[in-house]
Amino acid sequence: MSGNDNLVTTDDAADVAVANEAVKRRLGWGFWFCIGWIVLMIIVAFLAPYLSIKDPNANFIDMSGKGRPPYGPSMDHWFGTDKDARDIFSRTLYGARISLTVGFVAIAFGLLVGGTLGILAGYFRGWFDRIISFVFVILLSFPSLVLAIMLTSLIERSLLTISLVLGVLSIAPVGRLARASTLQYADREFVTAARQIGATNRRIILRELLPNVVIPMGALALLGMAVAIVAEGGLAFLGLSVEKGITWGSLIQLGSEGSTTLQKSPWIAFFPIFVLFFTVLALNFAGDRLRTYLDVKESAL
Amino acid sequence: MRFWLQRVAMAVLLLLSVSALTFGAMNILGDPLFNILGPVAGDVNNPDSVKLIEKAKAEFDLDEPLVVRYGLWLSDFVRGDMGVQFSSDGQPPVSDLIKERLPRTATLVLLAQLMAISIAIPWALVTASRAGRLSDRISTMNTFFLVAMPNFALAIILKFVLSIKLGWMPLTYVANDPLSSRLWQMVLPALTIALPVAAVFQRLLRTDLITTLQQDFILMARAKGLSRRRVLFRHALRPSLFSFITVVGLNTGALIGGSIVVETIFRIPGIGSSLVESVLREDFPVVLAIVMIVAVAFVLINLLVDILYSIIDPRVRR
Repeated sequence: MSGNDNLVTTDDAADVAVANEAVKRRLGWGFWFCIGWIVLMIIVAFLAPYLSIKDPNANFIDMSGKGRPPYGPSMDHWFGTDKDARDIFSRTLYGARISLTVGFVAIAFGLLVGGTLGILAGYFRGWFDRIISFVFVILLSFPSLVLAIMLTSLIERSLLTISLVLGVLSIAPVGRLARASTLQYADREFVTAARQIGATNRRIILRELLPNVVIPMGALALLGMAVAIVAEGGLAFLGLSVEKGITWGSLIQLGSEGSTTLQKSPWIAFFPIFVLFFTVLALNFAGDRLRTYLDVKESAL
Repeated sequence: MRFWLQRVAMAVLLLLSVSALTFGAMNILGDPLFNILGPVAGDVNNPDSVKLIEKAKAEFDLDEPLVVRYGLWLSDFVRGDMGVQFSSDGQPPVSDLIKERLPRTATLVLLAQLMAISIAIPWALVTASRAGRLSDRISTMNTFFLVAMPNFALAIILKFVLSIKLGWMPLTYVANDPLSSRLWQMVLPALTIALPVAAVFQRLLRTDLITTLQQDFILMARAKGLSRRRVLFRHALRPSLFSFITVVGLNTGALIGGSIVVETIFRIPGIGSSLVESVLREDFPVVLAIVMIVAVAFVLINLLVDILYSIIDPRVRR
């Protein structure tokens, strides 16, 4: 948009073009396949205790002469067992609970806080915008894993705190996007019009700006969830995530610790890796498709 | 000149805020006395313990207000003294620990960066010149897989395939080996960090190259009769490198984050694995020192990228 676009109504032509394109744009079967996998994972995470799968913490020591655990994959234990003879399949399913919860809570927190700060900064500008933008720069000036590790060193590592730490990490990227898209809309005619007829700031933000800003942020949500799940996996892998509980990261860590575990019983690490990878891939792919579908500019990210 | 001053002032302000926030958070949320002494810190009725507590308080200036302690820490840090480890005897000093470990991490990150760049550029050139064909579509799918793969998972897969199954690569890092074999032991860890980053670089550079290849001067060069290869290397690559350089700088964070995980898996005693260990021990001076080193490195690299960028393209100086 050029500087004096208040006078020139170029927007109409663009809107028509978008409307025509909408017919051609489809999300495609790949998108729905990915959504299907994500939904499946969510259902599994919710229903894990009620499904007729094995107890994830029970030790299934085999007495029929298979020797000492770990046991490889079999009809009895689809994904095999770890060195304490615990069933990897049910542990992987249970792992979805923490990993998905953390991913969801983190991005929800990031959207709420980052989105609010970004919109306010973009709308009011001035000194408030400067402070908020500087805070975003500080947050972004850290490799996120380093920041996460530092924060986890200061707190009790529970499900809630880990989710919030990862949520804090998503504040800056989400906030920058919210600010950028608010800036884009704050000078448009419909906002000026709303102000002229006496709408309060609160009403303008909630009724005029929010509906426009929410769309690009929503497209970011799936990608953000993938990032949070990977980050949680990384923390768990380093032994810095939720202290008691099964997560995909800690399962993978268990399968690769020591010098011989990976060599002698690769299934312990590889089945959780596969599930984690597929979930992250699905979130990434679906998020990417959604972003293209909703036409969110990459430069705004 | 004003441009440089502004950039440098911003960088310094940023580092000061980062250090103040980190220092504050660690002293307010954590309990330094407990981290130094352990359970003894709460044992105020036993005269022996009180003596220890007094000694620790004097040694670490714990009775001073937070701001004074921050000032003391900062003036020490700037002069290269990063204090004493909290763990029982405080030996070796944090500066020595860092001095021993930082070169390994620096080598790893540098090696990874070089690998990422030298993988990404040819990859982007090949795919951009065949944009839309089958090989390009397969490559796009591959970048998607690589970007979605968590680095610890990639590390395990590469370790399993290349070190365990094929036996091509050494399994772990041995600090006492001669330099050449230590470098060789770093190749696989560096590759683990480099592959996803290379995929990000490739995606970006490919898009830029495709845009550049549609320009008139490319058509002109082809019309003059230059070969496709020459046009690609001599005419298209350079103007496409602008945003590539920015992303290379910005991605240093991903490299450093990756090095933490990879150092742990391949047992490289660098500052990344040191960070994890000291967090688990709640050894805050070490954590603080490493966080600051990472922040300084990050800020310096981005400053360098800005400078480099404004040399290549003077318009950004405004």
